[in-house]
Amino acid sequence: MNHEPEKTLHILHLFPDLLNLYGDRGNIACMEHRLTWRGYGAVVLPFTCESTRFDLSDVDLVFIGGGSDREQKIVCGRLLEHQDALRNYVEDGGCLVAVCGGYQLLGEYYKLEEEMIPGLGLLDIRTEQGKGRLIGNVVLENERFRQKIVGFENHGGRTDIGSHTPLGKVLYGHGNDETSGQEGVLYKNVVATYLHGPLLPKNPELCDYILQNAMKRKYPDFDGFEPLDDSLENRANEYIVQRFTSK
Amino acid sequence: MIKMLFAIWLGKCIGWMSRLTGGKSSSAPGMFALKVCPDLIRRLSGNIRKQIIVTCGTNGKTTTNNLLCSALEAKGYRVVCNRLGANLLSGITTTFLQECSLFGRFEADYACLEVDEAYTIPVFDQISPDLMIITNLFRDQLDRYGEIDITTDILKRAIAKIPDVTLILNADDPLCAQFGCIPGIRAFYYGIGEKVLPQLDDTKEGRFCPICGEEQEYDYYHYSQLGRYRCPACGFHRPDADYEVRGVSLGTPMRFTVNGAPMSIQYKGFYNIYNLVAVYAAMDILGEKTDDFDRLLKNYQPQIGRMQEFFLGKPVILSLSKNPAGFNQAITTVNTDERKKDVIVSINDNANDGRDVSWLWDVDFHKISNPSLHTLTTTGIRIYDISLRFKYAGVPVDHMEPDMKKAVTQCLETDSEAVYLLVNYSCLYAAEAVLKELEKELGGKKNES
Repeated sequence: MNHEPEKTLHILHLFPDLLNLYGDRGNIACMEHRLTWRGYGAVVLPFTCESTRFDLSDVDLVFIGGGSDREQKIVCGRLLEHQDALRNYVEDGGCLVAVCGGYQLLGEYYKLEEEMIPGLGLLDIRTEQGKGRLIGNVVLENERFRQKIVGFENHGGRTDIGSHTPLGKVLYGHGNDETSGQEGVLYKNVVATYLHGPLLPKNPELCDYILQNAMKRKYPDFDGFEPLDDSLENRANEYIVQRFTSK
Repeated sequence: MIKMLFAIWLGKCIGWMSRLTGGKSSSAPGMFALKVCPDLIRRLSGNIRKQIIVTCGTNGKTTTNNLLCSALEAKGYRVVCNRLGANLLSGITTTFLQECSLFGRFEADYACLEVDEAYTIPVFDQISPDLMIITNLFRDQLDRYGEIDITTDILKRAIAKIPDVTLILNADDPLCAQFGCIPGIRAFYYGIGEKVLPQLDDTKEGRFCPICGEEQEYDYYHYSQLGRYRCPACGFHRPDADYEVRGVSLGTPMRFTVNGAPMSIQYKGFYNIYNLVAVYAAMDILGEKTDDFDRLLKNYQPQIGRMQEFFLGKPVILSLSKNPAGFNQAITTVNTDERKKDVIVSINDNANDGRDVSWLWDVDFHKISNPSLHTLTTTGIRIYDISLRFKYAGVPVDHMEPDMKKAVTQCLETDSEAVYLLVNYSCLYAAEAVLKELEKELGGKKNES
């Protein structure tokens, strides 16, 4: 009856005690449920301010969310100690999802009016605080996905992603820097974006893409997910797409 | 002078015109009058004989402000009050405009003004309140304010403009109590000095020390970050309350004591104790006698949607919640009612609501699942978002019904004993209209039979 699932993913949630703005726990819940609904196992490991042991060897997916500038600074100070471990993890194809403040942290730096928060340098991107915040609903398009990616952005930073591939083309909203028409970054198995809402529940295809990458990396015999009943998820997604892109 | 009079006339004309056409003119007159005379509030506030009391805070400011106004009126004073909760510069100007004569005069002893936290700086440029109540600070309407740190920063800069103010602060909320640490500031504190509610693991966004950032230790929580806290790193802790509530019993009526004086109040909801004791503190600090506090509150009419009860064959209770802390409190209140009930949750994302609905994921919606829950209905502009949220909370949604009236009617037809309608801001007036309409229709039927 209560047998162990055959395949299980370990999800490391970085600093849920500090970076928890904008319903980020919905992203964790989404990844967890979309695995367990299919009979797979999901173990969420919170890494908090009190945690001491930072070990990525048994981790299949890392999630880092958003917080205020103050909280982000605290987190960055603590994560810089583990910069090498994180870089090796990413370069080795480890899956990482970063939202909003977490996205900015992956870059070289986040330059504020009066100070500079150094980043982890996992991505070749740079963020600078601009005038006013970029706030509103967002719709993205990426040919890799059938479904449009929807969410809500609220950021003061403008991010220059250099030669990186964006997560999507902006159909509605501001995106990385208001002008490039691009949003987020896709690099190896890293998905980094300003979109919350939270990001994953209304973007089931993107969530499955992330989970499948983690599955493939851990289990070479993994041959894809069976579909779930996503009718409600899809309606929630389509509603946003229709409302903001159909004229 | 001419400019001021012209502004007043213009504002008044717009107010009349808008009333003639049936509109609610709670901010347009002020908005136009301010364009003509930007310092109109400052000029008009000269009419206030005694003191100006401002109320800020995420939750409870309309209730607290209106309760204070009622209490002062019950003492026989004339009070100017933005009763409807229009709390931006334009709304406050409109309030003054409605009060004043064509020559810019009015008679008032006190002004009770609720002010949106984000607009305290421009408001305090115009008027200098004598008392300022800060009820609490929760995550709210993020797309308008940015982040809670930004709100705190705005309030600090606003308070710096009015160094002679006396603050009345919620001792149980570390984010509020921190304003008492401003050098040279005069502050009084109120709070609930004992454990009352079961200790829930709800979202506690502000549990980090506002002074140094360490995680605080708690002897107990009331809800969210409210409770008896102490920072192990810097020593910041819950201040001793000048107005301390004890002996709380949450029946109907609610009973408790303030500094030993017994109170018995016909309100639902634990959070209302805070609103009441804040008013008690303000009255005392203004030098008004509080030994007849129960009587002072008798004439208070709650604004719509504050656990407002309708009777449509069975009780239908309308509750406005705007943010996770408010919704968690509403769910706790629903759950303390053991009658078999239907619950409707309505979520909009208009400008007044905050266009970002990600806060729904910070509400502990799974707690609504309870043996006395009969059916659950979702509605509102963001019907899919709230339904999806319930899917992840593991609570089955029985009906997704975009039409508010149908949603309510369906619940009236079940064999439940009560209906709770939990809505966010811009759903409120639509919900109230539907309930009033149904009240009329059902009343009509009663007469026929």
